[in-house]
Amino acid sequence: MKRVAHWWTEERRAYLLLVLPAVAVYWAVMAFPTVFSFILSLTSYNGGPIFNNPNIQLVGFTHYIRMFKDQYFWISLKNNGLIMAVSVFGQIPLGFLFAYVIHRKLVRFGDFFQTIIYLPCVISTIIVGRLWQSFFSPYGPFTEFMQKLQPGWENELFFDPNLAILPVLFVILWMYTGTYMIIFLANLQKIDPALIEAARIDGATEWQVLIRIMLPALSGVIVTACILAISGSLKSFDLLYAMTGGNPARRTSVLALYMYDNAFRHSPKYPLANAISVFMVLLSFALILMVRFTEAKFGGRE
Amino acid sequence: MKDQIIKKTDFHPVLRVFVYLMVAVFTVLTLYPLFWLFISSLKTNTEFQLNLLGWPQNPTFSNYPTAWRLAQFDTLFVNSIFFTTVSTLLVIAFSLMAGFAFAKIRSKATTFLHGSFIIGILLTLQSIMVPLFLMAISVGLYDTRLGVLIPYVGMGLPIGIYLCTEFIKSIPDSVVESARIDGASYFRIFASIITPMAKPVGVTLAILNVSGVWNEFMLINILVSRDALRTLPVGILKFSGALASDHGRQFAALTIGLVPMVVFYLIFRKQITKGVSAGAVKG
Repeated sequence: MKRVAHWWTEERRAYLLLVLPAVAVYWAVMAFPTVFSFILSLTSYNGGPIFNNPNIQLVGFTHYIRMFKDQYFWISLKNNGLIMAVSVFGQIPLGFLFAYVIHRKLVRFGDFFQTIIYLPCVISTIIVGRLWQSFFSPYGPFTEFMQKLQPGWENELFFDPNLAILPVLFVILWMYTGTYMIIFLANLQKIDPALIEAARIDGATEWQVLIRIMLPALSGVIVTACILAISGSLKSFDLLYAMTGGNPARRTSVLALYMYDNAFRHSPKYPLANAISVFMVLLSFALILMVRFTEAKFGGRE
Repeated sequence: MKDQIIKKTDFHPVLRVFVYLMVAVFTVLTLYPLFWLFISSLKTNTEFQLNLLGWPQNPTFSNYPTAWRLAQFDTLFVNSIFFTTVSTLLVIAFSLMAGFAFAKIRSKATTFLHGSFIIGILLTLQSIMVPLFLMAISVGLYDTRLGVLIPYVGMGLPIGIYLCTEFIKSIPDSVVESARIDGASYFRIFASIITPMAKPVGVTLAILNVSGVWNEFMLINILVSRDALRTLPVGILKFSGALASDHGRQFAALTIGLVPMVVFYLIFRKQITKGVSAGAVKG
């Protein structure tokens, strides 16, 4: 009993009780499902009880092979790639530009512009999706506008498999640029104004201040922004679900939607859906590691 | 703010015009669709078809009560408020508790446990929706309030734990140590010293979680099928899908759904902005 008492100190008891609720919930609904997903992806499970089900067999990487042979997988992956490109090369530079001009007071009413540019981020993605779907639809303002420019213009945006992704990409750029603006703005404000003033007194131009002081000071934040943009692009689901549903002909599908379709539409293909989710997790980690690696190699001035 | 002032000569006038133009375009692209949505919601269907863009001839609010009734906004609001408040309170409580233990009580388990939460910041929720759905069914939590609430708390924890641990670490150890010497238990220290001091991080977490859960769609869409448990995003999408050709009412429903978050944003703009940049941590 003495040894137990020694081990069971008040410190240990407090620690255990304090971390228990968070750890229990988190492991149950986040950590375990990730592992569970991997196991399921290797089986033939297709509904029915999960435990003690004699019909479940291990089938190895069959579902991964099936996934790689599916054309819709590649279409979805390509769309995720496009979204990622818009995020990294669109949202981040634009967000930085807005943050910079507002911070340096290049435009008046900076506060007002900041409020409006961030506004889309707080609206539910579902509402945003429905709103823009109507906006770009044949009865929306976009059609009217195009017909003013070019009489007789037919709106086939959502019917043409090659065009349908464009409005989505536009909305993604519109919606999340504000997030990056806010992040950059917060970090620009952390730069000591005295430093910039000193540089200016020494005769540095505004351009030199931007290149030599501001960008280096923000290099860490830019990496963070890239990581956010990459993991954010892989998360795209709600907007596409509400705006196009992945159509026409599943040409605007993304990985998360492709997985959803396999799990919840038609007959369920749970193992395939789980193979997709494992692929998504691995892809996300691989891309983030790549960003980290690039940072370590070329950046690191922070 | 003298040091903020830039000499006008530093920027070419063309550049300034360009910058203004960019900002203005973005502003119009945000305000115009919302304005179009609102005026369209004041039109009857007949008028909408004749007059797609203009100001309504006979503005009417009659779409609103109908949309409210048909989409069952009472239920949607009650559920959204319930899930948002309860999950936010639990996330804050659990994060502060665990954050306190990770930051101020020595244990060999901390590296591993804390690390597991940090990995969670990078986990895409999308990738666990199928396992969560299967688990909810097999333990009987499918289509229940609890079955939605637990994942909502779980998904808020990684960032919550990260922010709370960092924040509580910044409280000097001597505060905890001197209270220990005075004979206070860890729970006493947590309740009467740490919690009051952690108010700023609590506010940040509340902001992040409220906007996250209020707008959450994907999980609740697969974990719930009963009308009685639907939240705003699910209800609005179902309604607008079913009545896609009934424009006036659909737009009224979208407007009703839009207003709370926009008001919340305009009131807590400063805190939201701070919360977003605090929440943007790299993994």
